[in-house]
Amino acid sequence: MNELAVLPLPSPDEVQQTLAGRTAEVEERVRAAYASTLEPLFRTGLLVAAVGGFGRKELFPHSDIDLLLLTESEKSLPARENISAFLQTLWDSGLRPSHSVHSVNDCVSEHADNAEFTISLLDRRMLAGDAALWELLQQRFRQFQTRRAAALARQVGGLAEGRRTKYQNTIYHLEPNVKESPGGLRDLQTTRWLLMLEPREGTPDLSGAFHLMAAIRLRLHEKAGRDQNALTFDAQESLSEHPAALMRDYYRQARLVDQAVRQALEVSTEKAGTLLGRFHEWRSRLSTSDFTVSRDRVLLRGHKPPQDLSLFEFVARHGLRLAPDTIARLQGFAPETKWEDWKRLLSLPKASVGLSAMQESGVLPNALPEWRNIECLVVRDFYHRYTVDEHTLVAIASLESITDGRFLELMSEIEEPWLIRFALLLHDVGKGSGRDHTEASVEIARGVMQRLGAPQQDRETIEFLIRHHLDLSGVMSSRDLYDGSTARALADRVGTLERLKLLAMLTYADISAVNPQAMTPWRMEQLWRVYLMAYEELTRELVTERIHDAAGMPAERARFLEGLPTRYLRTHSAEEIDAHFALAQQLASRPVAVEIQHTQGFYKLTLLTKDRPALFASVAGAISSFGLNILKAEAFSNAAGVVVDTFTFADPHRTLELNPPEVDRLRGVVRKVVEGKQEAEKLLRGRPKPFLSSRMKIRPRVSFKDDASDGATLIEIVAEDRPGLLYDLANAISLAGCNIEVVMIDTEAHKALDVFYVTHQGHKLGDEIQSELKSELLAACATSR
Amino acid sequence: MKRIEAIIQPHKLEDAKEALKNIGVDGMTITEVRGHGRQKGHTEVYRGMEYKVDLLPKVKLELVVPDPRADEVIRTLANAARTGKIGDGKIFVYEVADAIRIRNDDRGDAAL
Repeated sequence: MNELAVLPLPSPDEVQQTLAGRTAEVEERVRAAYASTLEPLFRTGLLVAAVGGFGRKELFPHSDIDLLLLTESEKSLPARENISAFLQTLWDSGLRPSHSVHSVNDCVSEHADNAEFTISLLDRRMLAGDAALWELLQQRFRQFQTRRAAALARQVGGLAEGRRTKYQNTIYHLEPNVKESPGGLRDLQTTRWLLMLEPREGTPDLSGAFHLMAAIRLRLHEKAGRDQNALTFDAQESLSEHPAALMRDYYRQARLVDQAVRQALEVSTEKAGTLLGRFHEWRSRLSTSDFTVSRDRVLLRGHKPPQDLSLFEFVARHGLRLAPDTIARLQGFAPETKWEDWKRLLSLPKASVGLSAMQESGVLPNALPEWRNIECLVVRDFYHRYTVDEHTLVAIASLESITDGRFLELMSEIEEPWLIRFALLLHDVGKGSGRDHTEASVEIARGVMQRLGAPQQDRETIEFLIRHHLDLSGVMSSRDLYDGSTARALADRVGTLERLKLLAMLTYADISAVNPQAMTPWRMEQLWRVYLMAYEELTRELVTERIHDAAGMPAERARFLEGLPTRYLRTHSAEEIDAHFALAQQLASRPVAVEIQHTQGFYKLTLLTKDRPALFASVAGAISSFGLNILKAEAFSNAAGVVVDTFTFADPHRTLELNPPEVDRLRGVVRKVVEGKQEAEKLLRGRPKPFLSSRMKIRPRVSFKDDASDGATLIEIVAEDRPGLLYDLANAISLAGCNIEVVMIDTEAHKALDVFYVTHQGHKLGDEIQSELKSELLAACATSR
Repeated sequence: MKRIEAIIQPHKLEDAKEALKNIGVDGMTITEVRGHGRQKGHTEVYRGMEYKVDLLPKVKLELVVPDPRADEVIRTLANAARTGKIGDGKIFVYEVADAIRIRNDDRGDAAL
């Protein structure tokens, strides 16, 4: 078909003319056949009517011609040979009609096994025969339709749902069937039928959709010479010079039809009072002063929605859907959003539900105009199943349904998963720009983030994620994972463990959303291997990659940086390094420099001093003794033996917040324990015991790795977090006579993830010390203080 | 005719395809497979959690060539897929009784 010239689609007028012309022509032949065969025999008591598409005057060149021969009663059926003569005449004139013979009673009774018949009668039209009989049918069918409207609507719904299931309930097929696929002509007709049965207001105008799909179907019939409705790749090319643009139009219209039919089906199926219905009602207690929840659908209390994203946050928080009425009221709604609004929405566990509601109601492109770049944009290859906007939403949703244990674990370790979701939202917005989509997406995202007022750090992370969103896939397919240089190159590009984790999960989502089968066990394994390889390289670098001869720095500054891990430079901003350097200067006149800052609900303590045994444990203990909860900690030392320890902690009892002098006291106590004037152990003894659930949710795990670095042993600990845990762990390490070289502590919800690089008398730990220390550490994880 | 089946490292697929193209072999079937050779089933530790890894991702490449070309194709494949390390994979060679092109019933070498 490729060689043939492109035959453009007919205009709406041409479509109308062709369908009307075909209908008139067939009608004429049916009338003529009736007049010459049946009419002379049956002056009364018989008629022929057009039903289905023929009844609607929507006859495509090769679609079925459905005829109804209506008789007054079962007893007055015409003889078989009379009907045969009628049909034969039609066959001889080149028509292939499907006919059925029914009495009036037949037409107004329900046929559980032949719902199609009753539904085809909704589009009935008299062609020839007994006019009085027709009047009788009209009258009785109208009564039947009114009386049984709800049951008929359920039948229409049942047929539609069965058909849609065959097409996996999605409009996104690379080669859709314009008649049968979800969002196709049959769905469009379903909305008309449901409207006929149960008239409603506020139904969308689908004439644009009808014209496009009818134009396509017309051409498909002409080309194939039969009732062929699959819009294959070949057909797409034969219908347009720009097949991708044609498909973009198709999906735009199909989406409108799909939304309309789903809403109509919901209304018709929801009437039944079921157990499920009662469950939905139970959810109405979620209602707030702004929103009412009824049958799992969200309604607005006010006339207009709140100007921010709170409606969609509400939807995402509870996993609800918008009521049709709400969608109608959201037309043209353009919320004014700021960075914090997106952050709140995308931090919710079911963020994708909120985004889908924004997409369904048309609010997403109003809130984020850049979204229009990818709306219904088609990627024409054999792998991408979805349009770019749908791919994006499927990707974000895939993060909510991870089943693989390793990736679940990885996801739970990520502190700000909303960063992945925001990066995903924009990772492909540069598609369709005609140039490298990654660069284009980064540029567009930069503009968006500027407009929304994103803080510098978030901007950098998201730009990084978008710029490198294809990197891990590239490594998966074309790099030797067992070659050390692959790991080093990747670690170099990614920079920190935090970014690696974000990028790995973003890649997981991106691959999962190519098509429903794209995330094969094969790809999952490959992605995990790439992640693990880079993870190990980055953890190893913590102790091995040290800053040496920091270029372009004043001598004093370079001396301070000399020997700190390269991670230090990657995870600290220039301002923070300045502040640390200033603290280091204080060490000339005093043994300890301590600073406590209060930012965004957390406290951060920075400590610089000369290293000494059990230093880290003492500081951790001092902080815990104030009832503060350590969330993160890092300990690095430079070549001159100066340690830079940072502790980030929460103040669950608002001790520091309500008693400002306590901040000074904490500073003083930290100084004292560092100088050895006070013992952390004693301070902690006075603390009340925290409540601990007897059932440990997280099984403590301690593992040692000797090959992670050249000079130190890596200890990884995963445990249920509790106050004082870090002190106990660090103390156990110190008591075993070991020195903590590098520490990286993280907490996720109630899970502590701790990495210590440890030496014993300057060397890696021997087997004996390892096994002793392991049981000490496990004991520390399992006990409460 | 010989059927040549090569299990290779995923990152060597492009090299192998390119090398085969250079000697005029275009047709092949490629499958993403998982498996293990002699060192089977090791466990892997991630943050203290153990995962059993018994199947490593590989790529399987299958092609059928006339007898006289078999040696050249095998040599080309082996050279292209070699890194010299454990896990480079294997090549298997089978006799093929016949080949039929479904479109027009061509048989034997003519069907390849």
